[in-house]
Parts: sequence; C-alpha cells; structure tokens
Amino acid sequence: MSNVLVVAEQSRGTLRKATLSALTAAREVARRTGGTVSALVLGSGAAAAAEELAAHGVAVRLADAPVLAHPLAEAHAPVVADAARVAGASWIVTAATAYGKDLLPRAAVALGAAVATEVLAVAGEGAEILLRRPMWAGNVIAEVELRGTVKAFSVRPTEFAPAARAPGGSVTPLPVSVDAASLRTRFVELQEVKSERPELTDARVVVAGGRGTRGDFGPLSGLADDLGAAVGASRAAVDAGWVPNDWQVGQTGKVVAPELYVAAGISGAIQHVAGMKGAKVIVAINKDADAPIFQIADYGLVADLFQAVPALRERLKAG
Amino acid sequence: MAARLFKGAEYLITEATKDDVFTPEDFTEEQRQIAHTADQFVRDDVTPVLDRLEHQEPGLSAALMRKAGEAGLLMIDAPEAYGGLALDKATSMLAAERMGAAGAFSVSYAAHSGIGTLPLVYYGTEAQKDRYLSKLVTGEWSAAYCLTEPEAGSDALGGKTTATLTPDGKHYVLDGTKQFITNGSFADLFTVFARIDKKHFTAFLVERSTPGLTVGPEEKKLGIKGSSTTSVIFEGAQVPVENVLGEIGKGHKIAFNVLNVGRFKLGAAVTGAAKLAFRTGAAYANARKQFGVPIARFGAIQEKLADLTAGIFAAESLVYRLAGLIDDRLATIPKDTAGYYEAYQQGIEEYAIECAIAKVFCSEVLADVVDEVVQIHGGYGFIQEYPAEKYYRDERINRIFEGTNEINRLLVPGTILRRAMKGELPLQREAMKALEGLMTPSLDELDPSLPFAAERAVLGGLKKTFLVVSGAAVQRYAEGLKDEQEVLLALADVAIQIFAIESALLRAEKISPRLTESLRADAAAAVKVHTFAAVEKIAAAARRAAFYVAEGDTLTVLLGGIRRYTKYDATGLLPAKRRLAAAALESERYPL
Amino acid sequence: MPLKLLVTVKRVEDPESRIRARPDGTGIVTDGVNYKMNPFDEIAVEEALRLKEKHGGEVVVASIGGAAAMVELRAALAMGADRGLLVRHDGALDPGVGSALLQALVAQERPDLVLLGKQAIDDDQNQTGQMLAARLGWPQATFASKKESLESEAEQKKQPGVVLAADGGRALVVREVDGGVETLDVALPAVVTVDLRLNKPRFASLPGIMKAKKKEVREIPAASLGVELAPAVVVRRLFDPPRRQAGVKVADVAELWTRLHAEAKVL
Repeated sequence: MSNVLVVAEQSRGTLRKATLSALTAAREVARRTGGTVSALVLGSGAAAAAEELAAHGVAVRLADAPVLAHPLAEAHAPVVADAARVAGASWIVTAATAYGKDLLPRAAVALGAAVATEVLAVAGEGAEILLRRPMWAGNVIAEVELRGTVKAFSVRPTEFAPAARAPGGSVTPLPVSVDAASLRTRFVELQEVKSERPELTDARVVVAGGRGTRGDFGPLSGLADDLGAAVGASRAAVDAGWVPNDWQVGQTGKVVAPELYVAAGISGAIQHVAGMKGAKVIVAINKDADAPIFQIADYGLVADLFQAVPALRERLKAG
Repeated sequence: MAARLFKGAEYLITEATKDDVFTPEDFTEEQRQIAHTADQFVRDDVTPVLDRLEHQEPGLSAALMRKAGEAGLLMIDAPEAYGGLALDKATSMLAAERMGAAGAFSVSYAAHSGIGTLPLVYYGTEAQKDRYLSKLVTGEWSAAYCLTEPEAGSDALGGKTTATLTPDGKHYVLDGTKQFITNGSFADLFTVFARIDKKHFTAFLVERSTPGLTVGPEEKKLGIKGSSTTSVIFEGAQVPVENVLGEIGKGHKIAFNVLNVGRFKLGAAVTGAAKLAFRTGAAYANARKQFGVPIARFGAIQEKLADLTAGIFAAESLVYRLAGLIDDRLATIPKDTAGYYEAYQQGIEEYAIECAIAKVFCSEVLADVVDEVVQIHGGYGFIQEYPAEKYYRDERINRIFEGTNEINRLLVPGTILRRAMKGELPLQREAMKALEGLMTPSLDELDPSLPFAAERAVLGGLKKTFLVVSGAAVQRYAEGLKDEQEVLLALADVAIQIFAIESALLRAEKISPRLTESLRADAAAAVKVHTFAAVEKIAAAARRAAFYVAEGDTLTVLLGGIRRYTKYDATGLLPAKRRLAAAALESERYPL
Repeated sequence: MPLKLLVTVKRVEDPESRIRARPDGTGIVTDGVNYKMNPFDEIAVEEALRLKEKHGGEVVVASIGGAAAMVELRAALAMGADRGLLVRHDGALDPGVGSALLQALVAQERPDLVLLGKQAIDDDQNQTGQMLAARLGWPQATFASKKESLESEAEQKKQPGVVLAADGGRALVVREVDGGVETLDVALPAVVTVDLRLNKPRFASLPGIMKAKKKEVREIPAASLGVELAPAVVVRRLFDPPRRQAGVKVADVAELWTRLHAEAKVL
C-alpha cells in the first residue's frame, strides 16, 4: 500500500492551479515507491473542478456535498481520511496554500500520519523518500524523513511544475458521511481582497519597493498593474509607514517565490532577501551600484527607479 | 557582589582581581529583559519617527516620553513609594546604553530620567515627590534641568539668575535666563538653579505654567537636531517657597552630585550609540565594493573595525565595572533611614573620579567610532542620505555637555590629589615605593603561558608610571599643581587609560571561562588591541607630563622610568586585529 | 464570563541572528546566535492578554523544551501572562509529539481557548495548532488576523481581534486565506493559531518584568504526560540553500526588457 493521494483545492468549481504542482510531486513519489496516484476533490458543486483535474490523467474521487461547501478543516479533514483509506494511500500530498496548510495536519492526525510542510523537492534514493523543506525562513534547507505507515506533505507550488494535461483520468463520487449538525465551526463570510492584484504569496510576478521609493509607490503600483503583479515592500518601507504591514516581504513578513521579482529601491538586507530569494528571476533596480541586492539579482539595472520604472512600463506597452 | 569594595581611585594603587569587577556578562535574566524592552522601544517607537523628530514635530518628544513611561523606562531610579522601581545603577546604565541607539531622543531621555528627575529623587521632600515624581516616572510630565546660563557654562556656579523672597514670604521671584536647556520646549517641570539674594545658590522646582516663565525658540544645532534645546527665561516668575529643592544655599551640592550620575549615564548612552554606528560601518564595509571586492577585505578597513571593537569593549567594561562599584557601595547603606539619600549621594560621590573617566573615555570612543564610520563610507559618509553623517554630527555634543571633557579631565587628577592630601588615598607612600622601584633593576620575568601575562605585567607598570609622574608633579608645584592645567590634563590621560585597560582586562579574565573557545579568543584579541593603543597613549601623556614638571637628572630618571614601566609585549597584535575584524564583519555588529 | 486561555511560547533563534547549517549537516551553527520568543507566539500572547483585559480570566503560558525555555516563559509572564507551565523535554520535537504534549496540558488545564503562533520560525512547520485541534476534536481557526490595519484606532486601543459572542460560548475569528479574509464562527473550546497581522505585541514593561519574577511556573517532565516522545518527522541533514549567483548588470531599460522577454521568458 504505497499509493499516493492528492488533495485538490477548488473554489466554486474552479480548480486551483497549485493542485497541479502537488500532482507533479505526487507522481514523483509514486514513481519511486511503485504506487498509483489518485486525487480527491472536496466541495459542493465541484464537479467541474474534478473533471478539470481528471483531464490531467488522474483518477479523481469527488466528495461533493453541501457540508463541504466551505473550506472548513473540521468538515474536510474526515473526508480526506476516508479517501486515503479508500485509496489505500500511504502518502497524502497537497499544495502548501492556506487551505492545504490548514487542512493537512488535521487530516493527518486521523490517519496517524507524520507531516512535512512547504516541501521544495523530493529527495532520497529509490523507495526511500526524503523531503527537502526550508527551515529558519529558508536560511537552511532540511532533508527530512517521515516515519510511520502513512505520511503526508504539502508542496510549495512554485517549486514543482504543474502537471500537464493527459488522457486516462476519471471521476468517481466519494460518499460523504460528515454530519453538518455535528460541526462546531461555521463559515461566516469570505471577504475577497478588493485589490485587482493577486495575493502576494501567490503571484507570478511581484514588484517590490524599499527605502529608495522615498514613500512614493506610485510608479511601482503602475508597473504591478501592467504585469498583473502583486506589490511587496521591504521592512524599511513598512517601518516608515509608507505601506501596509501585509506588504512586507522578508523573514518576518511574507515569503514569496514568484517567477519574477522586481526589487526597486531595495538595498537587499538579509532580512528581505530571506523572503524572496526563492524567486525564479530577480530583477534589481537601484541607483547604488554597490547595493547588496545586486549580488543576488539575475538582472541588475543601476538606475533611478523613478526614471527606470516608467521607462520599463513604456517598453512593456510597446510589446 | 564584588570580592572587595574598592574606594574611589583606589584602582591606581591597588591590584584588582577579576572577582572585584561587575561585567555585562553578569546581568540577570530580568536585566536582559529590561535591555530587550529598551531595544524594542527604540526599534518600534523611536526609530520609525526619527525623521519627524529631526524636524521638531510638535508634541512628538513628549508623546515618546509618555510611551517610555508606559514601558517603565522612566521608573528605574525612582523609589517604589512614588511608582518607581528602585533598581540598581547597573540596570539604569543598561537601559541608558540601549536608549543610546535612539539618536537625539536618547538625549531627551537622559535629560528627563537623569538630571531632570534625580535631583527630585535625592533631595525632594515627600510632598514634592508626591506632587511631581509620580508624574515624571510615568512620562505624564517631562523634566528639564536648568543650570547653564549665557555666561555660566563650565563655570556652572557663575550664573546670574536671582531669587527674591516676596514680602509675604510665600514665593520666590525668579529672574534670569537659562540657556541650552534640553527638553526646554516641552518640559513640564524645570529644576532651576538661582541665587537667593544674589548669594545663596539654591535649586527650585518650577512648573511650566508658572507666570513669568517663557521658553525661547529652538536653537539651530550642529547635531541631535531631534532633541529640544531652548533658553528658559524667568521674568518675575513666582515660585512657591515649598518648591525650594534641598537646602537653601546648598544648590551646588545638587548640581554637582547629580552631574556625577549624569556623566556616568552619558558614558553608558554613548556606548550604545557607538554600537549602533559600528553596525552601520561594518555592514557598509561588507556591502561596498571597490577594485572588484568588498572593502571589508582590505586591511585598512579591517584595522579600523578592530580598533573600534576593542575601544567599545573597553568602554563597556569600564561603564559596567563602575556600575558595579557604585551598586556595591550603595548596597551597604541601610534603606529606610532618614539620611538615606545623603549617604547615597556620598556613595556616588566616592566615585566622582570614575564617573568623570567614564564620561571622557566613552565619549571619545564614540568620537573615534563615528569618525571612522564616516571614513569607511568614503564620500557616501559625507552625504546625508547615509546615516553615518548624522551619527557624526550627533556625536559632537557628548564631548561638550555634562561638563566638557576638559573640565572632566581636570577633575580626575584634581580630585585624586585633593583626596591624597586629605589622607584618604595613600598616594605619596605608593609614589615613594614606585620611585624606589625605579632604582632597583627589574627581575620580573613574564610567564607567557599564563593568559594575559603581558597585560598584567604592563598594568602594574602603568600604575607606577602614574605614581611616579604625579609624584614628580606634586614635588614641583605642591599645592599650586591645581592651576597647572596642562600637567593635570596629561595626568588625567594616564589615569583614564589605566582604568580602561584594567577594566577590559579584568572583564576578559572573568568571562573567559564561560565563553566558547572562539569567543574567548575574540575577547583576548580585544584586550590586546586595546591595551596596545592605550599604553601608547599613556606613554605619550606621561612623557609630556615629565617634560612639563622636570628637568636635568630628575627628567632623565623619570623618562627612564616611563620607558621601563610602559613596556608592553604585544606579540600577535596583527592577528588579533584581523580576528576582531573578521568577527565584526561576520556578524555586522559589535561582536563581543 | 471569565476566560481561561492557554498560549504556547516556543524558544527559537532570534530572526536577527545569522542562521546557517553546520558543515557536517547535523544542526545549525549556534555561536553568536541569540534566542527569543517565537514572534508568532508573541502575537498569540498579546491576543490572549487583550482577551483577558476585555473579558477577565487567566492567561496560562506553556512551553516545551529545556531549562532555557524558562527565559521565554518569563518573557511572556513579563508581558502580563498569569502563570507558566514548562514541559521539560530536551530531545528533538516534532509537531506530532508537541501537539500530543499540549493535549495532555489541555486535559489538565481545561482552557476555553488555546492560542498558538501559526508556526515557529525555527522549523517553520505550521502544524502544531491544527494537530492539537484534531487530537482534541475541537474546532480550529488558523492564521487569525484582523481586518483593521495595525495602524488603526482599534489597534491603538489594543482591542482583541477574536470577538467573543455575548454568551461566551462562541468566537468570531477573522483569518487570512489566499485571496482575502475569511470569518469563522467557532464554538468554544477551540484552537486558534495567529498570523502576523493580528496585532502588534506589547513589549514587557519594566514593572511587568519585575512582577514576572514572582509568578508561578510549574515544571512538568514530558515523560510524566504519557505521550510517545519519539518524533516521526526526523531531520536527516541540514544544508545551506544554494547561493544565488549574481547575474548580469544590464545597461538600460531596453536591455532589461529584452533579457526578461527573450532570455528569461518571464515577460
């Protein structure tokens, strides 16, 4: 029994893309342990998401019931445990999103499973699976072993390529036995962020500013809008009160790993770098040629951001 | 508690051991937490508004003072009966040191919690403390200390402000102008010195709302622009007679005794400022590239960082050793006795020499630090966008206020000689011994296997140097020496550096067994680097004094003695410097 | 209704310290590293204190670790917590073991609410609260946050973010989720883990620090709690992440765009 179960994430019938990264990680484990991969979609009216996931060549069990309408860990965790038993899974894999991080450890207790979170890579040799995960805000990478018969982990979506579409998938229903009356958690509301911009930790592109903005985030916000990017900030900018706290990228703020990170007017203090060094491509724009940010940037431009950023926007528009 | 209780200046004639000193490593967990609270206060509440402070935003300093009060940072020295915590001086210094990183607000804080509050604590009546102290410890009210006048700076008692009793005997009428008053623009309570009937120098507690009290405009200053400095003008200001602080005609006692603590606290505060500036310098050295490599790779930069590290180590060792001395002495005074604060004052007064030394030595370490931090920044050090420039400007006042460094230097040998003449310090006997020692050949052999053998050896010699040279000075000028300022300044340098060398050495000896091998080596390197530089300063100052006071054969004997007593084997000096620099660059802060 | 609040306090490496792996991979270099309370736990302590200030009750802080963890417990007591529990456990700890030990403490203390940092900044696991809730069969509200900004008036007035129903039997918790903020209504007793934006923790005042010395801290040997102490998450090796190599300096915006477009293919 070394099958792998992927716990998918969907919202109103739309599959969240991070799930496809979890699927990739799950297939890597299955390839090594010789098991099969199946997936679980939970929700109410989630069939479309299940079909979409099945279109990536995986057998999907759909737990569709009103009691699962909202992503409550208390309601979803027992279903995950049921599905794992049904699938004969000894590995449970999900994406390290807010949903996955909330749900997985709770489900793991029901299965007596050990859990690793924010996994960056599947390591080890042969059937011996070791998982690489960041510790101390990514200053150190740990290679961990999970002991026990059932194991679970969440993956950082940016570290695993999303699975491609493939034939051979299927959707079968999974009966849901959770009793709504027994739940002690009630969903009240979800207030979606009004911003047109994506969530900082989720964004494909992050445009961030620091002390060099001197408090004027206008040009950076414009660039972010052009790119569909989230806006981040260094601690210096947050401490100065220029931008809200939840914009802070860094060891004590958010840890991001977008495809593209544009650091403008950010010197590159260790504290900040800890939060963004996982980015695929880092661009630094700073007028101080000696700013430490250039030591980690893939592309460095020594320039005044108030000239360079508008110029970059012009260039983007020109295509 | 130290093994034995040293008297003031006794370090010059008695060999101290590591068990006689208090070190920063001896702090309790509570004291460390208090330091942490001060750090957090500076980081969360002060640093983000430094720019606004710099532009003198109205109300901001007073608001910060209230926040400092909420955190309890104004309660340290006040008695519990009035909402204080009555903690020891070591804690008070620790808080002052951490607040030293608060830029100009550090000065506002020191003025409030030190010279602004302590006169009331030490000399106030119960009624006065009831009325004012509980407001000062919470920060609800801010305090200022008004001694200086346009024509009375270093001549602190030369002020012209007068106090005249009203015919009904209920008020004193104050007339005069006080100048350079820290916290002037927002203080609610002023401790003001004035002469009653132009004779009796007396302190008064004056509320801001007193009619006839006006506050002048903000001075435009070289540095600490975020602090308030104004004149305070008294034009027929009526102060109730109940607000006379201490005894009539004894104001000088208040003025001088409080300055002892002020100086000592300043020593702690500037050490904190030095650590902050050092961080900036070390980080910049790592970040700045020239010739394709970080400038931190260059010996020229490394040597600066090493020398500064050693200097800060000595400053820190000295300040906390002094805190320990004072605390140990104060602990011998039974509390709740009528004469408690009288005895308390005497306890602090005992270390007036060490307080002056702390002020001079630590402020000059800060001066070295900010100067070299600017230098490490090169051209950027001259540009306001980088913090080095502000550190440099903010530093300068520390060598001027709380008694200029010249006044404090003069006070060191001046007080030593006065105590010697009064028979409180067996200086003459020891000087004779040292002189006799000069006539006999040295038989002492260093045992290089002992840790700090070279430093221990030279330290004994340095003390003899002080004794021999000051003995010669007394012989030449007798009582008239008090007027020979050039000689006194040279003697002061010798005495100051000896205290610093010994404090750093004893601290390293005390903490070494508790340190990891690597940190132990760092501490030893700091001692070596500091001792070398300080011995050079002592030798130069002693020679200078020798030429001032002696000639002919006496001069020859003196110079020979100085040469012999200031011999220091600093083998391994360069590796020690490189080690310290590496530690500083690795951690990007003062590493010890 | 007075509340009984249990808050976890973990001793972790100071985030300001430089953390790197030992060359042999068996741990991290601890020379020159300072320790402090997990910053997320600090927020949890603050939230508990605000709840107590509003509703009355008792704040009990608990730590699992060696004797040194007493320092962080005292720090929480100095902030204003009422008493402490130190589960003495010197070996490696994983969220499974940690949550089982906390479950045993909950059985002893019977709190209305357990507050934890959403994760500890040493192992960054983000599991213990969820596992504890599962073990207890209690509702969980993870990543508790607040809609108001940390500069808001409510924050200035130190209002708790967790809002109790009038009867005290339920609590509203705002939580940070991807793409927005969600509000949950949980029946008490419950487990809440807190995120960065919930509050700005107070620092210990000096009187608080002095009072904390006299507060009770009970030491409990981990072995006495009847919990299997062998961790199931075993760190086999630690290493420093690959250092990013400095890339190229581009001459101007045009070159930057070309490189991002044609070379890196991110635009």
